[in-house]
Amino acid sequence: MKNRLVTQMTSLRSAGQAGVAPYVTAGDGGLETTLEVLRALDSGGAACVELGIPFSDPIADGPILQAAAQRSLDGGTKLGGILEMVKEFRQGGSEMPIALFSYANPLLHLGWEGAARASAEAGVDAWLIPDMIPEEGDEMSAAAQAHGIAPIFFVAPTSSDERIARAANASRGFLYAIGRVGVTGNATTLDESTLSFLARIRAGCELPLAVGFGLRDATQISAVTRHADLAIVGSAFVQRIHEAFMAGNQAPHAAANEAALYLSELMQGLKR
Amino acid sequence: MTTDTFKTATRFGSFGGAFAPETLMAALLELEQAWLASREDRGFSAELAQLLEHYAGRRTPLYHARGLSTELGVDVWFKREDLLHTGAHKLNNSLGQALLAKRMGKQRILAETGAGQHGVATATACALLDLECVIYMGAVDAARQRPNLLRMELLGARVEVVEQGQATLKDAINEAMRAWVGDPTAHYLLGSALGPHPFPSIVAHYQSIIGCEARAQWQEQAEGLPDALIACVGGGSNAIGLFRGFLDDPAVRLIGVEAGGHGVETGKHAARFSGGSPGILHGCYTYLLQDDDGQVLPTHSVSAGLDYPAVGPEHAALAALHRAEYTSCSDTEALLGFERLARSEGILPALESSHAIGWLISNASALEGQRVIVNLSGRGDKDIDTIARIREQGS
Repeated sequence: MKNRLVTQMTSLRSAGQAGVAPYVTAGDGGLETTLEVLRALDSGGAACVELGIPFSDPIADGPILQAAAQRSLDGGTKLGGILEMVKEFRQGGSEMPIALFSYANPLLHLGWEGAARASAEAGVDAWLIPDMIPEEGDEMSAAAQAHGIAPIFFVAPTSSDERIARAANASRGFLYAIGRVGVTGNATTLDESTLSFLARIRAGCELPLAVGFGLRDATQISAVTRHADLAIVGSAFVQRIHEAFMAGNQAPHAAANEAALYLSELMQGLKR
Repeated sequence: MTTDTFKTATRFGSFGGAFAPETLMAALLELEQAWLASREDRGFSAELAQLLEHYAGRRTPLYHARGLSTELGVDVWFKREDLLHTGAHKLNNSLGQALLAKRMGKQRILAETGAGQHGVATATACALLDLECVIYMGAVDAARQRPNLLRMELLGARVEVVEQGQATLKDAINEAMRAWVGDPTAHYLLGSALGPHPFPSIVAHYQSIIGCEARAQWQEQAEGLPDALIACVGGGSNAIGLFRGFLDDPAVRLIGVEAGGHGVETGKHAARFSGGSPGILHGCYTYLLQDDDGQVLPTHSVSAGLDYPAVGPEHAALAALHRAEYTSCSDTEALLGFERLARSEGILPALESSHAIGWLISNASALEGQRVIVNLSGRGDKDIDTIARIREQGS
């Protein structure tokens, strides 16, 4: 399949380069804030954005992303509104890939087919579903791919080589490596076990590789991108732009400026 | 031996499945494999049977409640799980899974609890089998089921009080699952017949002793088969345990009673079949109370154990097959059931079990002359503060 994300990852891979993908909780600070943040990340050279769909029961998330989802839901964010916002972002002509990071239920509630159509029409490129495993993913995957959406599965340090191969085979665009055991957000010290896990995946997988969970600075980005094509920064990113937003009288540009600043710091880690 | 995919069916009809974070898959696969192996292991079965008989106090009686039967015009029999050690059916599953965890070489147990009965049962099994035990309990439930919180601590468990969300059972499960994602070498001892495969099958397996015994006891004490079984349904472990003894007896009606709260029409309830629709929560596809955006809705019940927005997937499948029927009982009806059983039979039932009794009382005329087994899944000592508070407010 071909879409903005697949094209991006293929070109990074063939150029021997890596990228940074910030995670943004959609509707945290309101959707107008999210829209400005996306524009700032596009201008700043983000390789991709993971756009988090808030869910009432995020079982794989730590306190920071739980709180962000709750703020967003309390503000009245709906999936339909998020997709409208993505559509508005695309009207500016941006080709920055957008991956929706959503628990299964909000998408399933529209029906996989309906959710895939709505996502594609808005200009979404991929689905990352943290409570979806390849064994359960056939219907989701077929609907996504029929609409040009890349289904992306996860691998963890606890995954066997067989499971890694299966997830890679079922994924398009990239394979998502959970860098360590645990929920999102806890500080990661990158040790040999994380790096050898990434090397183990790399050995058995042709697909571009993204790594996330607990990354927060350029030094870590530099370390993981020796093995991975994409470094995802989630909780640290959400927290930093939330704090800037609150400190900046809840002005969307306060969040957007901080997003651009933090992205540029993180991208220092890409310089070889 | 390692395995990289499940060996048994993960679904009940179209319901169930394993919608779990990949980090947990190795643990779920290991659990399924260990559970299947334990079922072939005579030594394991004998040890569990020994504990259930001499430690937990099985078999529990099937009691013919003649006084209540005369009053209602319905022949009422109670399966007395309230008489099991720790005061509820939950110990059947906790002992089974704790023994299984021990067999797997696990040293640390994580569990959630709503009413506190599963927490107490698990803390008990862990004390007995020398396992470290951490229980997650919502702050609202910790307050309304305080005696059980204290019991867990006295048994040596650490209780983590959960403040997130509505601070009830759903939120306790969220936190327990997060803790398991952080430590997949621990065993998550899930207390109801829900969650990702293989939990719904394992819990139903350990609870099916209720129905197996009840069927045998019925044959000993009565003729033929009962006309209906009645059990309350939160996640649904006591109900599936009873129903499983009679699934192949199509003449026996299976009636699950959900928490009607203030009434299904008010939105303040936990009646998933009449107020919900299929969706995915806590690892399984089942009936779920959710809004039009797929967000899980708040629930209400006077009973902490039934105050949960999803139902075990096997119940969803039994409903789809029209093998079981699911109905609801309001807070008020449940409280009437509690009082009626106390006065008529000298038994204080748990508020959860009071829903089955309350429904029976409200529907007695339609069941006139029939013979029914009601699962008295737990005892009501834990609820006396709640009852006293409601009486004060009402007077």
